[in-house]
Amino acid sequence: MTTIEISQFGQRLGTRLEGVAAHRVLLAALDGLPPDGQLVLSLRGIDVLSGSFADEAIGKICQLLSSGIHGNRTLVVASPSADLVEDLSDKLAQRKLALLCRVGGTKGTWRVLGSLARPLVDTLELLNKRGSATAKELAEALGIPPNACHNRVRRLVHLRLVREEKIDVAAPNTQYRFHAIVE
Amino acid sequence: MRLTSETIEDVLDLVLVEAERSLDLRDVGSIDVYALLLLDLVVRRARESGAPLRVTWPESPSVRRWMTAMRFFADVKPGLAPRPGSQPITLIPIVSIAREDDVSRLVGSFDDRLSDRYPIDESPRRHFLRILLELFQNIPQHANATGDVLDPHGIAAMHDDGHSVTLAIADKGIGLARSLGLRSSPGLRPDSPGQAGLEQASLAQTGLSDADALRAAVFDGRSRFRDPGRGHELERIFRLVRSWEGAVVVRSGSALLYQSEAGGDVVDVAPFPGVQIALSIPRAVFGIGEAAFGEGGVESRGDPGFNEGNEDDDD
Repeated sequence: MTTIEISQFGQRLGTRLEGVAAHRVLLAALDGLPPDGQLVLSLRGIDVLSGSFADEAIGKICQLLSSGIHGNRTLVVASPSADLVEDLSDKLAQRKLALLCRVGGTKGTWRVLGSLARPLVDTLELLNKRGSATAKELAEALGIPPNACHNRVRRLVHLRLVREEKIDVAAPNTQYRFHAIVE
Repeated sequence: MRLTSETIEDVLDLVLVEAERSLDLRDVGSIDVYALLLLDLVVRRARESGAPLRVTWPESPSVRRWMTAMRFFADVKPGLAPRPGSQPITLIPIVSIAREDDVSRLVGSFDDRLSDRYPIDESPRRHFLRILLELFQNIPQHANATGDVLDPHGIAAMHDDGHSVTLAIADKGIGLARSLGLRSSPGLRPDSPGQAGLEQASLAQTGLSDADALRAAVFDGRSRFRDPGRGHELERIFRLVRSWEGAVVVRSGSALLYQSEAGGDVVDVAPFPGVQIALSIPRAVFGIGEAAFGEGGVESRGDPGFNEGNEDDDD
């Protein structure tokens, strides 16, 4: 896990131009992570985070992650307050992406920024609570058909909100176990 | 006579529709900050076109003093320095917005000025700074996206009339319809405004009238970029100001959108280039009460107020 302090780019952020410069730094940090590493963006010390800066610096990184070119690497945000990430959340929603954000310090609560349908949020919250589970286990706990649960979890994997692990490649259909990316 | 976001349209009609080359503003008893910026751009554009306006400025010493303090004359007549000591009677005098890499510094100076003047609440302060960041950067990013505008002349200023704090931002760039037209121009790359051939964009047929472009930008969040992360800033700002029970004016080309508590509409106006915006936010939003202003807007006691000088108190 690598933590980047966004305040290194300024306290009032800012313009798309500033976002482009920050994007380069974040991308280099992401590339430097191990294949299943996690980048934590800390917003400590930030006064204002505009939508334009957030989209250019963070939204576009999320877009790259969901495209799969960074493998199993993940990204989360740590923000001292909920209102600081309002515009970031709006920009992620525009991109139909989502990101986990811990609000309120090390003992804060995790919330989803961006756009994520309620059933997906329920599934994500359950997995985060359990730490790891198969789609079948989640389906039983949620009381939904396994196929529906499988689709939900696939979407969460695609958004890099959970990790998947192949557990039985010898079976007729490869089996997966899904892991939370936050504790 | 008051020059406001409504009555400034009469001035624009005279100059832009009736091609009047002289303006008589002698009887003007007050000017709002949005009208001041539009007047600035109208005077400047006429001079640039080789047919300068002959303007008789307001006779009221207080109005002239306020216009000077707002750096109006310094802006329309380059080389004329603002009068020393005039700044304290204004909230934020006219500033130029030309480069994107200067936007954060400018927003910082607005923040410093607001924080110096008011015990401003944190949450609205942060929301307001986000508005400034988005609106200011729109000028270097969009006002000359075609590369064919000699000087879009982006400017901004703020005024406190005792009831509301008004932010005005104006430019005489390409406007919303041409900007959105870049999106539909085949073979053009809106992501790279400096690319050769982008000038052709000015010829592109957008299929959008000024009124349609205004609605598309403000209500639908449309941008000239196809990137899904772009756009929606005006929409978000509009929604926020409405939630504050403030008023919004957005003018572009031949369309003007006015929205307040009482309702709103898009109306036809005299065509003028660029985008001009006014956001009037009740003082209460910032956690500051209404100032003790007397009849007609002249502050009657206490803090010297930013309205001083902007009311014809000689009548």
